[in-house]
Amino acid sequence: MQTHRLSLLLLLVLATPLAAQQDTTRLPTGVRLGMIYQTLRRPSLAVRAFTSAGDAELAAQVGEIIRRDLDYSDRFEMFEVPPQLASGPVDYATWNGLNVVYVLDGAVEPLEDGSHLLRLTLHDVVYGVVKEIQAFRIPPPTDSDHRMAVHAAADEVVRWATGQPGMAASRILFVSQAPDGSRDLMVVDSDGENVRRVARVDGVLMSPSWSPDGRRVVYAVGRDDGSWDVIELDLERGAERRISTRRGLNTTPVYSPDGERIMLAVENGRDLDLFEIELATGQSRLVRGGPGADLSPTYSPDGRQIAFNSDRIGQPHIYVMPAQGGEAVLLSPYTYGEPGHYAAPDWSPETSFVAFHGRSRGQHQIMVADAARPGSTVQQITQEGRNEDPSWAPDGRHIVFLSVRPSGSGLYVIDAASGRTRPLVLGGRFRTPDWSPTLKRASALTVRGE
Amino acid sequence: MQKRIILPALVGALLVGACGGRQAQQTGPTPEELAAQARADSIEAARRAEEERRRLEEERRRAEEEARRRAEEEARRAREILAEMVHFDFDKFDIRPSDQETLRRKAMVLRANPDVRVRIVGHADERGSDEYNLALGLRRANAVRDFLVSLGLDASRFETASMGEEQPLVRESNEEAWAMNRRAEFHVTAGQVARTGM
Repeated sequence: MQTHRLSLLLLLVLATPLAAQQDTTRLPTGVRLGMIYQTLRRPSLAVRAFTSAGDAELAAQVGEIIRRDLDYSDRFEMFEVPPQLASGPVDYATWNGLNVVYVLDGAVEPLEDGSHLLRLTLHDVVYGVVKEIQAFRIPPPTDSDHRMAVHAAADEVVRWATGQPGMAASRILFVSQAPDGSRDLMVVDSDGENVRRVARVDGVLMSPSWSPDGRRVVYAVGRDDGSWDVIELDLERGAERRISTRRGLNTTPVYSPDGERIMLAVENGRDLDLFEIELATGQSRLVRGGPGADLSPTYSPDGRQIAFNSDRIGQPHIYVMPAQGGEAVLLSPYTYGEPGHYAAPDWSPETSFVAFHGRSRGQHQIMVADAARPGSTVQQITQEGRNEDPSWAPDGRHIVFLSVRPSGSGLYVIDAASGRTRPLVLGGRFRTPDWSPTLKRASALTVRGE
Repeated sequence: MQKRIILPALVGALLVGACGGRQAQQTGPTPEELAAQARADSIEAARRAEEERRRLEEERRRAEEEARRRAEEEARRAREILAEMVHFDFDKFDIRPSDQETLRRKAMVLRANPDVRVRIVGHADERGSDEYNLALGLRRANAVRDFLVSLGLDASRFETASMGEEQPLVRESNEEAWAMNRRAEFHVTAGQVARTGM
């Protein structure tokens, strides 16, 4: 990580003199390479072998899911546990000598109804205490909710250690183009497992978006004759309903944080304008009209503001404005006379950061800007290959995006704080990923504090 | 025309007359023979008339065929002109000078075929946001429509649509493919394209 950082700095230094000479090789003005947080060194965490009262294989599987979730949370340096320390009582002095900050123990016991009890114990080595013990009910492995319940337990461990939410109990929607040209709406768990199809259309399927409760999704469907519908799908019941069927383009729908409204881009006169539809009444309201295509709206966590994409000034840029309507403020970097291209904004569910992609040195890269401080420096967080269509995880820290790169094209996840990147799903023709809210909160069966 | 039929009959009649003159006093053609001759002559005349009618019919058919072939050729050419795509620079939606000529030819076709209506579909290359590429495709289709309207055509004859980057012509990731894919396509939605207007 340290060398990665150094190379970023080096590139930044190199980029500056080049800037004056060659338009295509420079960073856009106002864009800085790097991550968005000042990170502290991550605490070292050891996950010991999970014990079982019966099903050892299941305990090992559950332990592996949780170990990987904690690794993917990017909050910890994962400590490789030597065999002699894998079991037995936790000796804080020994672990302290290894610079380990947290030790996690897990035990899996069968319950009468076929499900299991998962007991997690987080030791704080520095203070020499048990930080938290909790037990969770885990449905049997044959139950479709099994993995999600384990992910939710892993998110609790992140919360115990950091006070902040994890994102393991979440999924990512994306569109996959089948060889016959039809489009599949796919969903995958946050750890890349459990890829499956939830809908298929013959035409174009685009811009799927989760409802805040994670039970519904909304997306745009386009057909060869140029007609578009916005469709809401109930994931549990499989029921579809049409939200908007206005003539021409209807696209980029997104739920308001309270789930009561959908904002979308609709062809209105010469180009696209933003409308908000009240789901209960079906009434729609123009949020932003006028010249230029306005699209890809995304709400702030409190629902009071939106960021969106507009090419009103001749090139696509990212703007922020009140969700009720009002003055739009430019968020992406703009320099008079220079080519600019910024699109696909997504507002973090936790912070004032807006992720989008912008062209830098001839390639699209993922960038992050602070909507609370328009005009401040924009951070470019990817460098390898072509990267587009970012979407924030519920922890407000990770971002899923589409990448075309030599090491394999598909969906990747980056930790915006550290830059650590992992592939999520590779190999297909994928587009417009959308990260869900937290889909499951683990409820502890028994609680015993520190 | 008339002469051709009559002449052999006259020659025949003279020959008969000459012979008849010499042999008149002797035997001479009987009235029955004369009647048979006349019958044969009229059959021959009818046959020739029929032949001539058939030839004329054939000529007319050929001329019609030729006219139809020409009309088909013209319609084909007109459809070709209408279908010809126009292309765009990266991230741009203004009409290239070279494509203005293409659109002027289309305008001539549209003027010559007033019933024809056209859907203009804008497309983008695969780079950039899927979502913005839809907007860009719409911008391109509208720019083409505006140009055609500026040439005096009625705006109501056009509808515009966008397929963004969803329907590439060339499924490759290189400059040539991208250039081919940044385009506007033209689909006839009503009317018969018959004339080029040239």
